[in-house]
Amino acid sequence: MTTKTVIAIVLFGGLTGLVAAGPERVANEVRQRVTGNAPSERTRSEAQSRVEWPRDNPPRPLPARPVTFPPYEIRKLANGMQVVLVSQNEQPVVSVRMIIRAGAAHDPKGKHGLAMLTATLLDQGAGTKSAEQIAETIDFIGGALGTGAGTDLSYVNAVVMKDSYDIALDLLADVVQRPTFAPEEVERQRQQALSALKVAAEDPESIADRVIDRLIYGFHPYGMPGAGTTESLTGLTRADFVDFHKKYFVPNNALIAVVGDIGAAEAMAGLEKHFGAWKAAEVPALAVTEPPDATRRVIVIDKKDAVQTEIRVGHIAIPRKHNDFEAVDQAVKILGGEGANRLQQVLRSQKQLTYGASADLDTFKWAGAVIAETDTQTSSTAEALRVVVDEFTRLQRERVSDGELEGAQDYMVGHFPLTIEVPDAIATQVLNQLFYELPVDDLPRYRERILKVTPDEIQRVARWFIRPSQLSVVLVGDADKFVNDLKGVGFANYERIPIDRIDLMSPDLMKRAGAPRP
Amino acid sequence: MKKLSIVLLVLVAAAVAIWYVPLQAAVRPPKLEYQRLVLPNGMVVILHQDKSTPIVHVELWYHVGSKNEKPGRTGFAHFFEHLMFKGSRNVEPEQHTSIIASVGGQANAYTNEDTTVFWQTIPAQYLPLVLWMEADRMASLRIDQKTFVTEREVVKEERRMRIENPPFGLLNELITFNAFDVHPYKHPVIGSMTDLNAATIDDVRDFYKTYYVPENATLMIVGDFDTDTVTSLLNQYFARVPKAEKPVPRDIPVEPQHTKEKRVTLEQPWPLPAVIVTYHVPYNGHPDSYPMFVMSKTLSDGQTSRIYRKLVYDSGLALTAFGSSSFLEQPGIFSAVALVNPGKSPDEVEKALIAEFDKLKTGGITERELQRAKNQFARDYVVSRLSIKEKASQLGHAEVIQKDMASADGEFDTFLKVSLEDVKRVAQKYFVPEGRMVMRIMPRGGVVEK
Repeated sequence: MTTKTVIAIVLFGGLTGLVAAGPERVANEVRQRVTGNAPSERTRSEAQSRVEWPRDNPPRPLPARPVTFPPYEIRKLANGMQVVLVSQNEQPVVSVRMIIRAGAAHDPKGKHGLAMLTATLLDQGAGTKSAEQIAETIDFIGGALGTGAGTDLSYVNAVVMKDSYDIALDLLADVVQRPTFAPEEVERQRQQALSALKVAAEDPESIADRVIDRLIYGFHPYGMPGAGTTESLTGLTRADFVDFHKKYFVPNNALIAVVGDIGAAEAMAGLEKHFGAWKAAEVPALAVTEPPDATRRVIVIDKKDAVQTEIRVGHIAIPRKHNDFEAVDQAVKILGGEGANRLQQVLRSQKQLTYGASADLDTFKWAGAVIAETDTQTSSTAEALRVVVDEFTRLQRERVSDGELEGAQDYMVGHFPLTIEVPDAIATQVLNQLFYELPVDDLPRYRERILKVTPDEIQRVARWFIRPSQLSVVLVGDADKFVNDLKGVGFANYERIPIDRIDLMSPDLMKRAGAPRP
Repeated sequence: MKKLSIVLLVLVAAAVAIWYVPLQAAVRPPKLEYQRLVLPNGMVVILHQDKSTPIVHVELWYHVGSKNEKPGRTGFAHFFEHLMFKGSRNVEPEQHTSIIASVGGQANAYTNEDTTVFWQTIPAQYLPLVLWMEADRMASLRIDQKTFVTEREVVKEERRMRIENPPFGLLNELITFNAFDVHPYKHPVIGSMTDLNAATIDDVRDFYKTYYVPENATLMIVGDFDTDTVTSLLNQYFARVPKAEKPVPRDIPVEPQHTKEKRVTLEQPWPLPAVIVTYHVPYNGHPDSYPMFVMSKTLSDGQTSRIYRKLVYDSGLALTAFGSSSFLEQPGIFSAVALVNPGKSPDEVEKALIAEFDKLKTGGITERELQRAKNQFARDYVVSRLSIKEKASQLGHAEVIQKDMASADGEFDTFLKVSLEDVKRVAQKYFVPEGRMVMRIMPRGGVVEK
């Protein structure tokens, strides 16, 4: 039986460790470690051989096979819906993935959570089917249907066995084009969303993530809570869902990918049948202002029973479609990304302050941010914070060495074949290019794009976009036990907020005393 | 160097005609082919070729997990997993993962109740490097007092992060601790802080000599490789690892038959009350485990599942409600969990959960529910065999946990044979009040009101 056991504990929190060398250099590097100066570890550690185990050189690689980006097709229906087809018949399964170009960023002022709840309600009654009938249909055929909203987009996904492609499209067409938004389903989902908010309000990780976004983006749409607030969710009406759906769920604002054990002709015939009659309409443009400039602000959120402090440090960066994307992306990977990660090296490997540390470059349609995150036991909060900030400073001031950049690039280039293994991963890459209006011709040029970035380029971008003195900081933990240490690491000024008084909609992030929100 | 010969036990079973056609004619996925080899030192090797992308996945399973831990040493198997990254004769500390990353690969490891698994996915041409490194740490791990002490701090941080800090992080631990009397599934894989602190470097040496031996290891190689090359690499690196000095111990305490319902009430600083109902269930691969799996689907897979319908959708009693049976090497538990919505009573929720189990005993499930569970199983079966990593995991599970390689593929047909009568019989056998535990975990300082 294939069910995973209840608890499995992985070694690294999603991130690989420090890269020491590149592919062509690995053998030499390891050889040097063996035959060169014996490192200090050897003198004080004992190798537990059960046999005279030989000193040995690492083996050379086998001849490599060439890798190319796998075939795919891009089509368009007459009503403007973009289509991506990836055909692969290893397993008898088809997945259909639809993207609508509207997400939480499109929530009108005061109606936060609208995109999220609209997406949740799509499969809770559509066309002539009730919520129960939709669930029964998809579950019975052994399919899976999922809906949701992200920052810039909403999505509907279905996975079915290949003989159920038509059933899947029939359901998807209803769910995307004709959701009912029945009042009783609206109420049910609203209550669920409110309860989920309550749970999230006590989860340090979730709070840290929401507050750092709010600090970095301010009142820009990306700073607002996509899951809504108690007030905003309570205020949403059926008319809001109908309106949001009518505005954005149109074919010329949609992308769809059909992936798996199905040929192009059959895939397209199904799409024409179920989506061909869907009427195009003009989509209102979103007026987005620039996010505020980076300013230093330190928020300490007090949670009495916490045994660890959640740490977030970051500032504004670039949108996805930016000329310096590759260089900025690699700079952030060196700071805290897969295949590199200075933060993990210092915080975990050298100092044992954490189980995992990383930095991400979030790049959306209109803006983006660089955010470092880690968690540490309460007593080492200030020390860990200092390390994170110092690494931002080091990245800005010191030129990365050729070797370190090569290491990061070796990982990215070598990793490429792993990113095209399964058809869904191929489709995701094509959908991403289309969504952000980037050239799909870039996909096969992956290697060249990575390798053209030089240490000088990294230094140039790090100088303008990394601003260590303007970092926003969020610390969620048992404040009494660490705030006195903050001054000693350069953070004398901070705002302290009890966990139950956070209000993302208030300029000082605090609920007003005496006027509790419902 | 003297070449050792490898006993080649090719177990690609002859294609058996598939005679069973299910109601809705679920699409039969392709057969999961494999070769099984046994090295003279006892190590089992499972090969599955897939040349569609030039990458290969190597996964080494050691048949040791938290259930093998000595009393007072909970968490040790997982802690030891961390130490396997601290260097061996030819690989410096912390370099294993770095070297894999430097060729674009990914490496990680996990520990559960039954096994400790080390894996890497790499561009195909680096297969020799990975096999060389895995053999190196199987044969010549460096054990060092300083590393031992410092890495323990990382594991303690991991426990704080996963278990102690998030709301509901302690849930699983509280369930198993109370559901089992003596079986080591009682203890969390991550262990307790006290036990982690009590571990000594002698424990490390002993654990390594006892469990990290070829006869306790199964190696999966899945992806783009050439069989002759693999055979020669296995000879070169793994075949020279010597046999263990003593047999691998398998003396795990047995859980006695429970004779009385257990009731437990606790407090935790959580936002909502939780109600949990558990029953003892058979081991994975036991004939009764297949009907049990059907019930697990019927009770809790998807929005049409009975628990979701009754407790979340229809009555709004619970914010969320889910249940699943554990499928472990030895008998485990079926647990159903509901988070009580503000304004609803834990009494009602308890009654509703138990009623769902009782209904299975009296009425079983419907023909349509059975077919739905089978179709869901077919989907799970297919989507858990898409990547080479997933395939390796299925093969390892069949060999190590089920001890029956044929189940890696044959289970699909075993499952489709489950009948309505099987389901009812198994429900009546296992969902008995004497085997039940009912646990309530109440918010410390009272229930949050709406």
